[in-house]
Amino acid sequence: MGNILEIKNLSKNFKGLKAVSNVSFSVEEGKITGLIGSNGAGKTTLFNMISGVFPPTEGNVIYKGTDITGMKPYKYSGLGIARTFQIMKPLAHMTVLDNVASGALYGKKKIGSLKHAKEYAEEILEFTGLYEKKDWLPGNMGTAYKKRLEVARALATNPDLLLLDEVMAGLNPTETDEAIELFRKINSNGTTILLIEHVMRAVANLCEKVVVMHHGEMITEGTPQEVMNDPYVIEIYLGKEEESDG
Amino acid sequence: MKRKFGSRQILLLLLIVIVALLPLYVQSTYTITICIMTFYMASASLAWSVLGGLTGQISLGHAAFMGLGAYISTLLLVNFNVSPWISILIVFVVVGAITALLLSPCFGLRGPYFTLVTIAFGETFRNLFTNWEYAGKGKGILLPYGEDDFGLMRFSDKQSYFYLGLGMVVLIYIIVKMIDKSKLGYGLKTVREDEDTANAIGINPWKYKVIATFISCGLMAVCGVFYANYYRFIDPEIMIQTQSVEYLMPAVIGGIGSVTGPLLGAVIITPLSQFLNATLSSIAAGSNLVIYAVILIVVILFQPRGIMGWFNGSKLKAKIDKVFDSIDGKLFSKK
Repeated sequence: MGNILEIKNLSKNFKGLKAVSNVSFSVEEGKITGLIGSNGAGKTTLFNMISGVFPPTEGNVIYKGTDITGMKPYKYSGLGIARTFQIMKPLAHMTVLDNVASGALYGKKKIGSLKHAKEYAEEILEFTGLYEKKDWLPGNMGTAYKKRLEVARALATNPDLLLLDEVMAGLNPTETDEAIELFRKINSNGTTILLIEHVMRAVANLCEKVVVMHHGEMITEGTPQEVMNDPYVIEIYLGKEEESDG
Repeated sequence: MKRKFGSRQILLLLLIVIVALLPLYVQSTYTITICIMTFYMASASLAWSVLGGLTGQISLGHAAFMGLGAYISTLLLVNFNVSPWISILIVFVVVGAITALLLSPCFGLRGPYFTLVTIAFGETFRNLFTNWEYAGKGKGILLPYGEDDFGLMRFSDKQSYFYLGLGMVVLIYIIVKMIDKSKLGYGLKTVREDEDTANAIGINPWKYKVIATFISCGLMAVCGVFYANYYRFIDPEIMIQTQSVEYLMPAVIGGIGSVTGPLLGAVIITPLSQFLNATLSSIAAGSNLVIYAVILIVVILFQPRGIMGWFNGSKLKAKIDKVFDSIDGKLFSKK
């Protein structure tokens, strides 16, 4: 299969600060690709450029063969790109069902009637294991459920490419395993996934390809095994032996 | 699943009928006057809530947009003999379009900054009309008196205005309720809750704010037509910013973001403020305002989502819902 997304020489400067510089990689259709790196490596900035929140300073984002660089952010979900936010952004005064129904009414799915949107939202809630909470307000749920809600709402837009920004951060090991299983299910339904993650277990478990970023630059890419045995990656994550004197 | 038409709707209809029969039993002009004021405040607050409640853009310029409607319809009536009934449609479209156009560059502003802009626009309009010869400058315009004329929305008895006001509030309530339950309503509410999320699921926040402004200010102008024809006198003071605060008060007390909130708030606060004014201001001038302010502070401190905000999350609502559902079950089970 071909590449659903191609990032070409993407850079972003914030008033002289280079948040992302000259990053290029591609996301293969139907696969799960991981993006890892320490805090401040520029992962979320990269995500924001792919989903249109910031226009890039330089470079291009090619989606399904079309250049979508710098398009207005609300146009992306119609193309089939959906995202979650690292800092969860639930619609606080709307029920879980209404949160997901909003995604189904707009996005790529664009259901015309509220009744059908709610029915579809219930399906999504069933799929993501949130059905019992459908009448809850997001603020009354725990982190694990809120993260699921972010995924459910993005999924309701019927995306071809799902961008997940640290959806497993703050989950306990059991919840992480459940999340991993959910992403496998989503992926097996044909949705390509690009995820930012700190939880290495999840990355090793899910991703066929991993891209490593550090200080705004891309260091390496490869399978999880290749990447984790890369001396430079080990150095970034664990530090050099002679420097770790404390 | 909730039915489109069930015991809740029947109860609402019954309530409207009871209110509509009120003038037959209540002879006191004072009570009828308070009812008319309540209808007017509820309508204005509902109109405000499309932008302020559903979309989360707090406007403090709505008195001016109401005033625009009042002035346009009055000028059309006085100079061109255009019936206020036709003016209702004209002001809805014209004021909706003017405000949407004026405010559209300001939708990038979030929170209090947007509110400040609406105050500025409101005061600009007030000054404009205070100095505009054609619109009677600061002394305002008197609407022509004469025999009762339905076509000119001119009545000598309060009862007619009572039914006019009741019709207005029912119509605006239905419109706002329909928006709330529609796809458009979900778009507006998503923009209110989080603009980044709105963008991420394919909603253009700017576009939805423009639509909300058009509807909200257009409906506000319709309230202005009623105001002008009821009081039969308008001057630029109706556009003053403190009046805008009055329009959002029922929504705050009743519950911002709920459609029933502004209605409930107006039913509580308008008679209350009239009562306080009548009883307390003769004892110590201004004391009625103090009590009014205390009530407001208490609500904002302890129940910022208003009465409906508390009710929607309460056990009471769950119980009432159960009763309604069981009645629905019995009534419609044969089908």
